[in-house]
Amino acid sequence: MGDDYPTLFRSEQMSLVQLIVPTEVAHDTIAELGELGNVQFKDLNPDVNPFQRSFVGEIRRIDEMARRVRFFAGQIEKEKDPIPIRPLYDSAPLVTVGPRAAQTIDELDVKLTEHEARLMQMNESYQLLSERLRELVEARHVLRETAVFFEQAAVRETEVRNSFDDSSAPLLQHDDREQQYSSGDVQFDLEFVAGTIDRARLSTFERVLWRVLRGNLYMNYIDIQEPFVDPATGAETRKNVFIIFAHGETLLSKIRKVAESMGATIYPIDVNADKRADAMREVTGRIEDLQIVLYNTGANRRAELMTIGENLASWQDVVAKEKLIYETLNLLNYDVRRKTLIAEGWCPTRDIPQIQLALRHATEESGTNVPPILHELRTNRTPPTFHRTNKFTEGFQTIMDAYGIASYQEVNPGLFAVITFPFLFAVMFGDIGHGFIIALAAALMILFERKLAKADLGEILSTFFFGRYIILLMGLFSIYTGFLYNDIFSKSLHLFHSGWDFPEQHGNETVVAVSNGHTYPFGIDPAWHGAENGLLFTNSYKMKMSIVLGVIHMTFAVCLQVPNHIRFKRLSDIYTNFIPQMIFLQSIFGYLVVCIIYKWTIDWSKASTQPPSLLNMLIAMVLSPGSVDPETQLYPGQSTVQVILLLLAGICVPWLLVTKPYLQWQEMKKIQGQGYIGLGADDAPRHTDDTALEGEEEGNGRVIVEANDEEHEEHDFSEVVVHQVIHTIEFCLGCVSHTASYLRLWALSLAHAQLSEVLWDMTLANVLGMSGLLGIVALVVVGALWLSLTIAILCVMEGLSAFLHALRLHWVEANSKHYEAGGYQFVPLSFARLNEKQ
Amino acid sequence: MEALFFNVDSGFLEGIVRGYKAGLLTQNQYNNLTQCETIEDFRTQLSATDYGNFLANEPLPISTSTISDKATQVLVDQFNYLRSNAVEPLSKFLEYMTYAYMIDNVILIITGTLHGRNTNELLQRCHPLGVFDTMPALCVATNVEELYHTVLVETPLAPYFRDSVSAADLDDLNIEIIRNTLYKAYLEDFDAFCRTLGGPTAEIMHRILAFEADRRAINITINSFGTQLSKEQRAKLFPTIGRLFPEGNNALARADDIDQVRQACEPVAEYRAFFESGPAASRPNGARVGGSESTANLLGDLGDDLGGATAADLEDRFFVHEVHLNKLAFLQQFQYAVFYAYIKLKEQEIRSLTWIAECIAQNARDRIHDFIPTF
Repeated sequence: MGDDYPTLFRSEQMSLVQLIVPTEVAHDTIAELGELGNVQFKDLNPDVNPFQRSFVGEIRRIDEMARRVRFFAGQIEKEKDPIPIRPLYDSAPLVTVGPRAAQTIDELDVKLTEHEARLMQMNESYQLLSERLRELVEARHVLRETAVFFEQAAVRETEVRNSFDDSSAPLLQHDDREQQYSSGDVQFDLEFVAGTIDRARLSTFERVLWRVLRGNLYMNYIDIQEPFVDPATGAETRKNVFIIFAHGETLLSKIRKVAESMGATIYPIDVNADKRADAMREVTGRIEDLQIVLYNTGANRRAELMTIGENLASWQDVVAKEKLIYETLNLLNYDVRRKTLIAEGWCPTRDIPQIQLALRHATEESGTNVPPILHELRTNRTPPTFHRTNKFTEGFQTIMDAYGIASYQEVNPGLFAVITFPFLFAVMFGDIGHGFIIALAAALMILFERKLAKADLGEILSTFFFGRYIILLMGLFSIYTGFLYNDIFSKSLHLFHSGWDFPEQHGNETVVAVSNGHTYPFGIDPAWHGAENGLLFTNSYKMKMSIVLGVIHMTFAVCLQVPNHIRFKRLSDIYTNFIPQMIFLQSIFGYLVVCIIYKWTIDWSKASTQPPSLLNMLIAMVLSPGSVDPETQLYPGQSTVQVILLLLAGICVPWLLVTKPYLQWQEMKKIQGQGYIGLGADDAPRHTDDTALEGEEEGNGRVIVEANDEEHEEHDFSEVVVHQVIHTIEFCLGCVSHTASYLRLWALSLAHAQLSEVLWDMTLANVLGMSGLLGIVALVVVGALWLSLTIAILCVMEGLSAFLHALRLHWVEANSKHYEAGGYQFVPLSFARLNEKQ
Repeated sequence: MEALFFNVDSGFLEGIVRGYKAGLLTQNQYNNLTQCETIEDFRTQLSATDYGNFLANEPLPISTSTISDKATQVLVDQFNYLRSNAVEPLSKFLEYMTYAYMIDNVILIITGTLHGRNTNELLQRCHPLGVFDTMPALCVATNVEELYHTVLVETPLAPYFRDSVSAADLDDLNIEIIRNTLYKAYLEDFDAFCRTLGGPTAEIMHRILAFEADRRAINITINSFGTQLSKEQRAKLFPTIGRLFPEGNNALARADDIDQVRQACEPVAEYRAFFESGPAASRPNGARVGGSESTANLLGDLGDDLGGATAADLEDRFFVHEVHLNKLAFLQQFQYAVFYAYIKLKEQEIRSLTWIAECIAQNARDRIHDFIPTF
């Protein structure tokens, strides 16, 4: 059974398969199936805690490996000069299947551990060294700054002795009193503490000291210009050198204690200038030594990271895959003897041979001769919905999936959306120029598809990229409707001879065009462009067109019920639902469409009656049936036809309302009459193959976890009635409101045309007439403005709005007529998806 | 009226905090956690909760203190997020909440310094919510007055401290007195502040703070049996906003043994249950889990000789009641008590987590269910 080729019309036929996998090939089998990506595994031990499952140990190990790999990636990222990471497609694949698989993983684990240990050690020593270097550098700063201070103090000392008037010594200016103290005495008898402290804490430090020592201190500090960089985190800290003079051992020890607790570092400084110079020399020498060591360590570390970078991508890949494999293995069930694993899952029936092949391949790879066994199971569970899409149909299918996942084997509106969606969009967006811009953009995206797919485009751009084929079709259809509307950037094209001639214009009078017998062969006659009643004409035309398109679209959507009814063996639904709905829709709105087209075919200038207003006609048809004003009669016998149609529509309402519940009731009575009591009456349709039956005959077609979570819809009679009442009301009211809703086609198309005309008139139209250099400059400037506004407002913004409305017309107006959308998505185990997620 | 304009300033944050609250562990998750065999299981199990991958990048083996630290970090991050988005008076309210941690930190450092611990080690053990700039300088102080004048005078705690300034030297007893005086002043001040907010905030916060006050009063009483603390001194330490105030407080001040405490608490129906001797599912005071050290349990230092079992049992019942009161806070909308309640519940959750982790690590599976569940 099944079709020869996969189709989007219905979701793929699915089978519930059981895999009996010997333990030794289990890992390879899952790996192979993950590469294939078309089996969705079921959880066979739903009551088991995640950490009590069979393969938790492996998962934990993989997690640990993943942590290491993340650590490496983090280290590489932090490095200032970028370290090349060899891309996955470029690196040698790490084979984790086959007989040596376990060994490979073990080796990898060991390798990762080694790398981690080495890297950690290097980081540690690097940090230690940088820490020491930092201290030395700080010490140098302290020495240098305090030297400056001591020198100045010495100079000032003499100055003070020479002249007491001059009290504006540069450094101590801010505190006169302090200066008197310190300069009056011999300063160098004062003891002091010097060191460095974080600049942010300096003020707190000073404040605390002031309070602790009750002001008995003299503090001086200088900013260190360059920031200190923490090698591990890369964070910058700025520090200050401080020197504090105080008197007395107690005070000094207090200062030291406070300084230490505030995170300051204290350096011993000597008062003697010679000793300071010695210390300075020593510190400088040690800094040089340390820098060399540090450089070597850094180079080693970098080399290590380079080696890691070579393999990082493939490690990441392997770790992610292994984790997925073991997580899947956890879903499987051990048989009683713990020799084999039993898996159950959904797969497309069409792909079973492929899966068989993969299983055989896995057996060969792993070097054993016990193949996994696959057979189909019978089940009455509803399979997941799987639409096989390609890069072209994917976008359209996603639009429909966003509304709801189709029920299993239901007619898929995504297929029809491929054409109807761009078309309805284009009706609202009709303009050759704008359509061309959109189509061009999409074509470029498609042309550079491969390159763009790899690049990270950001959220918004990648959304556009995902919908590139939709955009392309939207553009092409817009060009087509642009020709219909004869609109290019709000101007019209004269492709053929116009059907109208304008007589010579004299002065300011209004001239009336004269028909010259031609008929413009395609689209709107360009003569309408600029005509005073042009807007009137296009309005009337577009309004009627949207009604026509809407009714056709809805009729089509109603028709899509029929394949569903046939497929799900609900033949009665055809005459309880489909036929009355169709008659109702056609007798009112179908009739309106016929009238619209009939009215177009009549040359009203030669007719005997006035052209009737179709809107009023429709209202009168419902409100005062049987009476038509002969003044505005469209055709003879109109009133009789309308009464008949109205009656037909009227009959349909009770028909819709009553027949289905009645049939259900009758059936129920029949069943009860035969003495059966309702055990979830008729099930979801099931399609079992002969192979499945065979499998069962062999006695191993046992489903491990039988449908206990499958909810059966209660076939309560009252529920059927309520459902049908709602359905009827929704449909009948919906027909009216939905038809009106299609008028958005007209409104948006009108808005688009008007907007582009306004844009043209406000910008380019003003400068086109200008001549000379000024004219050229103005043309270039205004032209650029016009182009950018055209793209930003008319193509992007208007395009998005038209897209939204086309979306709504599909979701609300069309889908509500037939789409059940009660399915759930098929989510196969697939490594490809894993990469997508990353 | 508060309902009318509440959301203008605080609606967003209330939404956030209620979202956080929805992420608190449920009974079911606690059950799963208690079934863990190893700390790694524990981590796997936690990664399925709101904690997410907060331990994912920790190298094995994970110590329980790491778990506690990381979980506290989560709490601190959440609190800081709330605080940085808050406007008056919510920001003031949140600030008030940090004062309690400040008091704990101050006491922790003074006690530590007194016993000659390393300052840096002490600083690391401080609760991150109660850290203030000049905190490290606390270790310089040798007497109470110095403490006040050098450091605390510029912190928000200064007004609370003013009452307890005396030239007395710092010793264990004095530190405890300082702590309790501070706490008393803090609770009364916080309650007064909440009263200025009015509406349901005042109502609910008063309920919670009153219980806190009573709890402290009872604890002080029980722990002061057999110490040099005189009864007059003791009476001065009781906060005056509790439900026991004033008769209960007076009775407590006169109490000499646990029976008299029980009698003092008799008038309040909820408190009566605390003293009913339940099944002896107690844990010795010393074995209490790490994180709680900085909170109320330091009181235990004062008088350990009471017979730890009863005290610890009582302590657990207090916690259960506190959790209950905090849960009640979520029943009303348009008030700030949810912020307080959430932080307290989260703290309790971290305590419970640490307890479970500790039990797993020490293989004390029979005691693993002795934690206090939040939701």
